[in-house]
Amino acid sequence: MSRETSFTFDGAPMAAVEGQTIAAALIENGVMSWRTTRFGDRPRGLFCGIGVCFDCLITVNGEPNVRACLSAVEPGDDVRTQAGDGHV
Amino acid sequence: MAMSDIAAPTVDVVILGAGAAGVAAAVVAARSGCRVTVIDNGPTPGGQYYRGAPPIDSEPSSGPRDLSYAELRAEFDRLTGSGVIDYRSRRTAYAISRHDDDFVIRLRGDDRHRGEIADFRARAVIVATGAFDRHLPFPGWELPGVMSGGGAQLLVKGSGVIPGQRAVVAGTGPFLLAVSGTLLEHGAHVPAIVEANNPSRFITRASAIRGGLSKSGEFLGYVSRLARHRVPYLHRHRVIEAIGVDRVEAVRIARVDADWRVVEGTDRVIECDALAIGYGFVAQTDLAGQLGAQMVLGADGGLVVDVDPNLSTSVPGLFAAGETTGVGGVEAARVEGLLAGASVADHLGRPPALTRRGLDVVRRDIATWQGFAEALHATFPVRDGWRDQVRDDTMMCRCEEVRAGQVREAIDDLGARDTRAVKLFTRAGMGWCQGRICSSAVDSLCGFGTTQSLGDAAVRPLVVPVPLGALANGQMEG
Ligand SMILES: Cc1cc2nc3c(=O)[nH]c(=O)nc-3n(C[C@H](O)[C@H](O)[C@H](O)COP(=O)(O)OP(=O)(O)OC[C@H]3O[C@@H](n4cnc5c(N)ncnc54)[C@H](O)[C@@H]3O)c2cc1C
Ligand code: FES
Repeated sequence: MSRETSFTFDGAPMAAVEGQTIAAALIENGVMSWRTTRFGDRPRGLFCGIGVCFDCLITVNGEPNVRACLSAVEPGDDVRTQAGDGHV
Repeated sequence: MAMSDIAAPTVDVVILGAGAAGVAAAVVAARSGCRVTVIDNGPTPGGQYYRGAPPIDSEPSSGPRDLSYAELRAEFDRLTGSGVIDYRSRRTAYAISRHDDDFVIRLRGDDRHRGEIADFRARAVIVATGAFDRHLPFPGWELPGVMSGGGAQLLVKGSGVIPGQRAVVAGTGPFLLAVSGTLLEHGAHVPAIVEANNPSRFITRASAIRGGLSKSGEFLGYVSRLARHRVPYLHRHRVIEAIGVDRVEAVRIARVDADWRVVEGTDRVIECDALAIGYGFVAQTDLAGQLGAQMVLGADGGLVVDVDPNLSTSVPGLFAAGETTGVGGVEAARVEGLLAGASVADHLGRPPALTRRGLDVVRRDIATWQGFAEALHATFPVRDGWRDQVRDDTMMCRCEEVRAGQVREAIDDLGARDTRAVKLFTRAGMGWCQGRICSSAVDSLCGFGTTQSLGDAAVRPLVVPVPLGALANGQMEG
């Protein structure tokens, strides 16, 4: 059976299913983009879906450049939009 | 870590990738008594086709019953459980090199555990790393909500999440029908399937092949299911623009001729909140490339690993199977995996696991699926006209945000004559993805299209970034 869990995205609580990728959980919650590009400051989200394109980079618990399409969401994750290369 | 630190061989065979090809190869090699390690970056075995799905029985599978995917997967699980196969999930092989007559394979944990690294030493290696969707850049393709067909398929199959309520599916190939079918099943509305080629000849071509009838039947099944859902299946049409501010809100489509040039006055706008798009697949050849294995152009014009009839590459002890040797679908991948497993055992001097008859069936099936792949690529090729729809402000390299105008300038004004020069002048292909997404399109926009030019673009010393600290502290596993 799939179990419900929760995480936060930019501070807002969101529901997810255990084992789901961060990308799937965000899209299920209506979020289509979670990164802005380095030069054009443009939004990006899921593109290849299999870890090849690196468009879906996101910051998880303070760690930048995590591929949201490959990484499973874990209970209580603090997931944040990543700006540029993720280093502030 | 210095090479001299590397201990004696830890395993006979390392198999890179646990898709249909890798799973089949692992089982056959293990049946011959080889010590096998399988490395895969996914959470479960099965690769892109079977990801998220439990082993299924109904899969159309030719040949002996004990060699169907369902049986192979069950045996894989048993052999993993009993420790005969060492299966490492959520691990990426990021580099491979030769050391004496052995191979050294370097692994990294997933992005949340990227500091966890390990090395393996093996006497033989099978590369079964599969493929990813091919993209042809067009205005607006970098908008959120535009995603690869494979990515959309996996999102739904793996997580039960649909990318949007109104999802247009576009590109070329029968895979578009599979994606649409999955989206419909999960409650999405598909306003149109936009196919750049004319698929009608696929039926005749595929039916002419022994065993191909089942595939053309599958294709017709999809078509009739879509008709029931009243989804228009547009032939000779392309998405020429994705429209939206911060996400896709609509696509502009147009009729194209046989060469994919837009027919004036036929464009129209379809509202949607997602676009799943792909023009076939590109083989993942990075790891074989690191070892200097010979590459060739596959039937679809993409770079693939060159193999002999036993699936041996030009590097002794290195074998390749599945989409890495040519994009031909999941059945081709499974039977190639069987042969690669048998070949690697033979290379290591182990007794054969397949009977002579079994091996004959496998070889015959490989020939069948090769014929099928040729029919596929003959019906669904990429035509040059796509380049006309690339405007100077169209994004070519998504990572470095390089536009087509800059690539054209490198060729026309700066005199770039090869892949390397274009890359250096523009930075296209120098970002995070190392050119996986854009390099074949940049290559085509520049009019290169050779094994050399595509090969130069596919040189990737590290498959994924690795933290320096982790490299310095690298530990051997044994
Ligand atoms: C996203 C996607 C979805 C697809 N969905 C379908 C579908 O629904 N129906 C269909 O008919 N065809 C589908 N295809 C086509 C499909 O690729 C093939 O039919 C089939 O999966 C090929 O099997 P394979 O074993 O050659 O490769 P794959 O199934 O691709 O398996 C290769 C495996 O290797 C892993 N891998 C790659 N590189 C590394 C590395 N460096 N380190 C560790 N592991 C690595 C991959 O994660 C993957 O698990 C899809 C393709 C893609 C790209
Ligand atoms: S979507 Fe391409 S790497 Fe995650």
